Amino acid sequence: LGRIGLLVPSSNTTVEPEFYRALPAGVTLHTARLFLTQITPDSILRMVEDLETQSRHLASADVDVIVLGATAPSFLKGLGYDRELIGKIEAATGKRATTTSTALIEAIRHLNVSRVVLGSAYDDRVNAIARSFLEASGVTVLDAKGLGVVDNLVVGRLGPETAYDLARKVDRVDAEAIVLACTNWKTMDVIDRLEQELGKPVVSTTQASIWAALRMIGGIDGVPGYGRLLRNIMAAGKEAQFA
Amino acid sequence: MYGWRGRIGLLVPSINTTMETEFWRIAPQGVSVHSARIAGGRHGTPEELRGMENASKQAAKEIAMVEPDVVVYGCTSGSFFEGPAWNRKICEQLSEITGAPTVTTAGAMAASLIAGGYKKVDVVTPYVDVTNERLKQFLKAHGIEVVKLGTFDMLDMFDHAKIQPEEIYSKVKEITTPKAEAVFVACTQLRALEVLDLLERDLGKPVYSAVQASAWQAYEAMGVDPKIMDCGGLLRRLSEPGASKKAVKKLRRSA
Repeated sequence: LGRIGLLVPSSNTTVEPEFYRALPAGVTLHTARLFLTQITPDSILRMVEDLETQSRHLASADVDVIVLGATAPSFLKGLGYDRELIGKIEAATGKRATTTSTALIEAIRHLNVSRVVLGSAYDDRVNAIARSFLEASGVTVLDAKGLGVVDNLVVGRLGPETAYDLARKVDRVDAEAIVLACTNWKTMDVIDRLEQELGKPVVSTTQASIWAALRMIGGIDGVPGYGRLLRNIMAAGKEAQFA
Repeated sequence: MYGWRGRIGLLVPSINTTMETEFWRIAPQGVSVHSARIAGGRHGTPEELRGMENASKQAAKEIAMVEPDVVVYGCTSGSFFEGPAWNRKICEQLSEITGAPTVTTAGAMAASLIAGGYKKVDVVTPYVDVTNERLKQFLKAHGIEVVKLGTFDMLDMFDHAKIQPEEIYSKVKEITTPKAEAVFVACTQLRALEVLDLLERDLGKPVYSAVQASAWQAYEAMGVDPKIMDCGGLLRRLSEPGASKKAVKKLRRSA
């Protein structure tokens, strides 16, 4: 059906396994890496320098879409930065591209929610940037909590229960959805359960990235087991009844 | 952490679309595959194949950070082209960068055939003449004679992935000779993995492939029994009683 080209931070150990597990038969994944060890603004800016070269590597495998599967690197400079990166990838390759942050905003809009709470693996500094990116995109962030991890390899070692616990901790009655940010954080296994228990959609950055990539490829109805967003990929937000 | 049982750092030529897919398809629970791409063009010219040696160092730096248990340099011609010493140099360079043992496809090809005691083999490749000649020399240096070589004769490496598994099946069946003790299908871009079992059954002799041999050596290096029962005898042997499962890896911080 299609080939997804995925750009991952070199120290990310989570996003490739989580993509592979969720992809339907006929969609394959091809990865290139961008050098990154620490989730800090300086490291992230250096990482993006490599973006065009690595995107061209993926384009040489004739992928249908290129996804920058990294959350912080795609919102770091605020609103519009993700679009700027998409522009760079598309200009370098002639392929359609998206980023995790772009996908996250699209997913939130698709679900037709505007008030969310944010849970992330980040420290306060990066979490504040995440929050302002969401708010600049028209999303109200009622509360934000982060685990305070800066070393990306350490994020990859966190178990999915840390995402589950933080989501429950940050949730509020007036939140319409829960956002879980960082593609190196294991979130995919807890989305379904959280949605059932809390009765509201849970959007993780990995889940939203997979959703956006599959929508761009087209022809895939849905992937079960990873929350409302992926269960019904093509459905419009309002009509998709929350089960 | 994903890959708690074993993490494979897979370096593929940037144009390769087959190897990541096949490695993920056979990865058992607890094993993860993380890829980086080796810069290069889509034509397997001598210059491009030689260039991969240097370009692979950058890809190794990118993959080192996931702390792999084994690194796989996933290109057959890119590891045999300049002979066994060149192949060893690639292994040493990449292990130096990543701190993990390195498996190259050409090294795995030789090791798998030697492990079976096969000295006369037939080979199927997608390569042009100059590359096929180098492959024969590489095997000869390991004491293995190529009895017959069949080729799809395509220079464009991206297009190698368009060859269908059933075409590979037919080509192997068409060229193999009674004299050959085994058949090897070279090139990690060829989708041979899914027809190996069928070929071994129908020909009654071992048929190995580039991706399969690379995986075999990678799992052996990790000391992981993957229990892959439908991709040929070579991988099945990893699960036989008495197969050497030398778990050499140290327990990680995260275990």
